[in-house]
Amino acid sequence: MNSQWIDSLGLRLGTNGLPYEIPMHPQLVHLTLGLFIIAILFDIAGAIFPIERPIFRFLGLPAIRSGFFDVGWYNLLGASIVTFFTVAFGFCELLLTNAPINQKSDWGLNASWTLLLHGVGGVLLLGVIVAMTFWRGLQRYHWRKGASRQVQWFYLLVGIVIMGILYIHGTLGGQLGSEFGVHVTAAKLVQEGANPDLLPK
Amino acid sequence: MFALTLNSQNLPYPDPIHPIVVHFIAMVFFSFICDILGHSTYNAHLFEVAFWNILVGAMATFVAIVFGQFEAGLAQVYSVVQSTLNFHTLIGWSLGAIIAAITAWRFMIRDHLRRAERHRNPLKLPPGYLGIATFLICLVFLQVYLGSKLFWVYSLHVEAVVKVMKQGVSP
Repeated sequence: MNSQWIDSLGLRLGTNGLPYEIPMHPQLVHLTLGLFIIAILFDIAGAIFPIERPIFRFLGLPAIRSGFFDVGWYNLLGASIVTFFTVAFGFCELLLTNAPINQKSDWGLNASWTLLLHGVGGVLLLGVIVAMTFWRGLQRYHWRKGASRQVQWFYLLVGIVIMGILYIHGTLGGQLGSEFGVHVTAAKLVQEGANPDLLPK
Repeated sequence: MFALTLNSQNLPYPDPIHPIVVHFIAMVFFSFICDILGHSTYNAHLFEVAFWNILVGAMATFVAIVFGQFEAGLAQVYSVVQSTLNFHTLIGWSLGAIIAAITAWRFMIRDHLRRAERHRNPLKLPPGYLGIATFLICLVFLQVYLGSKLFWVYSLHVEAVVKVMKQGVSP
């Protein structure tokens, strides 16, 4: 957004362009991604349980098949809830962005395109994660209730594809921080020609 | 000696890996939430979820330490950053040991609950465990704050700052 627009909000913003020291969106993202990925991986582990059972026996780690599906369900439910906050903070911090315009990322995109794709992609992915949770819940409590394999193969395939999309989406977000320096305090100081060594300890 | 080719973020690979591995340490926090919910709603499913999540978190911690050390070694650390990085490193190694120990305890609790299942109401955790786990979560939050500061405030491995440092300008 342009600086006039941001000024009209009347917030007391720090050097990083935010009313607080550390952006919240990248913190919440750890939960969204970690929970989603672990959910899918444990569902996969549950689905191929007969193959890996000797490994757990060898490790002396008692594993019950339904326990893996519990992780698959509750982690995904957690991901769904957290992601609403991830996207909300993401939008708040995106609107306060004053990114450099004369720079290109490793993927050849400028900051505005990276922001636009990451913003729109984020909303779509929120929808996808919530839809996956409904799908997973239907399998757990209706369609495959009592089945030894609680998830459909197609569900796992879709989960893997979404992990790939999340990887691309997350890299776009990472580039906003590490390449464009969005909301990064010392990077902003350097872009303004100041010395980051003057930062408080 | 061999020379690593470093990119514009002063890394031999496209993006820092330590913050990616850290996503899975967040599962320690989710494990705690599940234990609290399971404890207060008598839900055995949630205990199982809590156990597997802390196990994932404990394994990720060791990988995170390895990449953290590597990437800290490649960071251009200027004087004001030093104390935060030292503190982050110290807590990081301590967490490696603490999370491993607490995971081992959680494993024994799980084992105990499984054996007791047939005899009496097994759906409670020892209060001592919840107390220690609360302490662990506080330590994890402090660690997250310090690590976030290294990137979001001090900009280690952020292109603009790496560029300035490479030109030899102070800091």
